Amino acid sequence: MSTHEYSDDKLNMFIDNQLDINETDCLHKALLEDLELRERVCQLKAVRELVHYAYENPPRSAHERRDKVQKVHYLRRGIAASCILGVGALLGWGTHEYSQDNFAGIATANSAFSFYAGQAVADFKERKIVLHISTDDIGAINAALDEADTLLATYRETDTPLKIDIITNKTGINLLRVGVSPYLDRIESMVENNNVSLYACSRSIAKAVKKEGVKVVFLPETVTDKTARELIPERLKEGWVYFKV
Amino acid sequence: MKTIKNLIAAQSLKHELAARRTKLYRIAYSWCHEAALSDDLVQEAMFKALKNAGNLRDTNTLDTWMYRILINCWHDYLRVQGRNVELTDMSDEQQPEHTDSYQQTQIVERVRASVGRLPMPLREVVTLADFAGLSYSQIAEIVDIPIGTVMSRLFRARKNLKEQLLDLNKDENAHFRLRRVK
Repeated sequence: MSTHEYSDDKLNMFIDNQLDINETDCLHKALLEDLELRERVCQLKAVRELVHYAYENPPRSAHERRDKVQKVHYLRRGIAASCILGVGALLGWGTHEYSQDNFAGIATANSAFSFYAGQAVADFKERKIVLHISTDDIGAINAALDEADTLLATYRETDTPLKIDIITNKTGINLLRVGVSPYLDRIESMVENNNVSLYACSRSIAKAVKKEGVKVVFLPETVTDKTARELIPERLKEGWVYFKV
Repeated sequence: MKTIKNLIAAQSLKHELAARRTKLYRIAYSWCHEAALSDDLVQEAMFKALKNAGNLRDTNTLDTWMYRILINCWHDYLRVQGRNVELTDMSDEQQPEHTDSYQQTQIVERVRASVGRLPMPLREVVTLADFAGLSYSQIAEIVDIPIGTVMSRLFRARKNLKEQLLDLNKDENAHFRLRRVK
């Protein structure tokens, strides 16, 4: 068959796979021999490809846009939830591994101290608690100190040895500053009568000095040579129980 | 028990339709060249499909069935809008959103404009064949015409497009006002 013997209808059927096997084979053979026929087929194929290409990426539909916005929202929520879960898991793992009583997680000072006070009579091993204060919020500090006092009294009554390290950083260092903290007397009496140590983060001190431009003075019992980031992991490794205010 | 089966079937159909939404939208867009209208047509088609799910006896023909519902929605729209259809107005909305190169965008615009200049019956057939990749018998069923008519429309459509797209001497800026051919 020559090129003229193939109608455009036939060629359309060929490129659309609508011919039977015998007809397709015949046309294949003809294509090998006939350049003009090849060109006709190529042109039809080119048109078909162009139409396909032109509508592959139409403007996004409202539905797709909504979907995308929702996906972004879900993604953001997912990331946020994952972060929270991840941080929780890491901290939980950390405290689980290093605490004496497998008490994992971070609680508010109030609930945490209540929990720990309840455990005081269970045995007579020494309790080690690190109290991390990173705020100078009066309400939070008052609650923490009240609970610490209760805790110390409870342990004293049961003759259970208790050691508390108060580690402050950020604005929490103001709790231990002379001329700034309203709790100095209370803290001093706490330190004198009990096994309580005071720490102020060296990095936070440097920042406060830079910001205020004056020398920062602490209670004489305050240790200031390390950062909170160094102090807290050290204690966690030794099995201290960690509470954050 | 029958109610539960119907519910499961409806849920399954819903998933099948959702999976075909993009494909339906593209075809609808190739007919009307309007994103919002395409969306409406697809929405209506999916609503009708769910409403008449009982009419679908063979799930293997779901594609053909959906295209048929879609084209009926499109024809209904054309009937409501009147017989004169403006086909050459290409608004900004119709430009591709993706960041193609300038040349690619030009090709897409040119092809869409050429398809837009085709009479609607030719446009429907050529997009169903070239874009959706349907067989002639499927197209015949969807558009409700004999296979011979599908072939002749396809022939005319491709001949027209070939002249517009492959003939470089053709005036690219020519505008046509077309009337819908019944």
